[in-house]
Amino acid sequence: MGKVKLKYFSRIRETIGKTSELVEIKSTNIQDLIEELQAMGEQYSVLKGRDFAVYSAVDQNIVTDVKTSIEGATEIAFFPPMTGG
Amino acid sequence: MFNKIIVAVQKSDFDLNSELETLKLNTEKAGAVVIFVGKVRDLDDDNLRYLEIESFEDLAKSQIKEICDDAANKWDLEFILVKHRFGRLKINDNIVLVITSSKHRKNAYEASEFIMEYLKSNVPFWKKEVADKTQKWVENS
Repeated sequence: MGKVKLKYFSRIRETIGKTSELVEIKSTNIQDLIEELQAMGEQYSVLKGRDFAVYSAVDQNIVTDVKTSIEGATEIAFFPPMTGG
Repeated sequence: MFNKIIVAVQKSDFDLNSELETLKLNTEKAGAVVIFVGKVRDLDDDNLRYLEIESFEDLAKSQIKEICDDAANKWDLEFILVKHRFGRLKINDNIVLVITSSKHRKNAYEASEFIMEYLKSNVPFWKKEVADKTQKWVENS
């Protein structure tokens, strides 16, 4: 699919050990992307959301369905439940 | 078209008096102003050293703007201001400011609560409490 900028926040950033990275990906939806990333290293298994819910934003739009298409996306962010206010 | 919405995601503190002056210049028909300030509090069972607030700045700003637009559609308001801070904050430092203004108080009160409820779990901020004995990411209760 091409190169995509991945961004990580909060607990996910700490577990993966990076704030962002540019990655060549093949996946066309979030679910497949998580599988693809996990093959790059065990630290990415945090994205599976076993310990807490994992949200994602595709080009700065929050998505709730892991089947959401990421074709043509330039930035994908992963983050845990938000705690503002 | 309602365009009296001010949104900011910032590291610096906000000044209540200057925000009120801005509001007054823009709301001559409003008789009610509701101000909500969220601030850093100490913990019950540990001593907080600081609160680290992480943000996805651009997305946070657009999410806040969206909820302000929703509030402006639901209630008859004259003015909305939301400023949310990020970075390292100490006890009693300000975190968030929500000002709503309307002709009469009911709309301003309800809109303020609506915006704050949304901010709690729909805007990309994350708080980490760093205390003497522990450090942990805050989870929504």
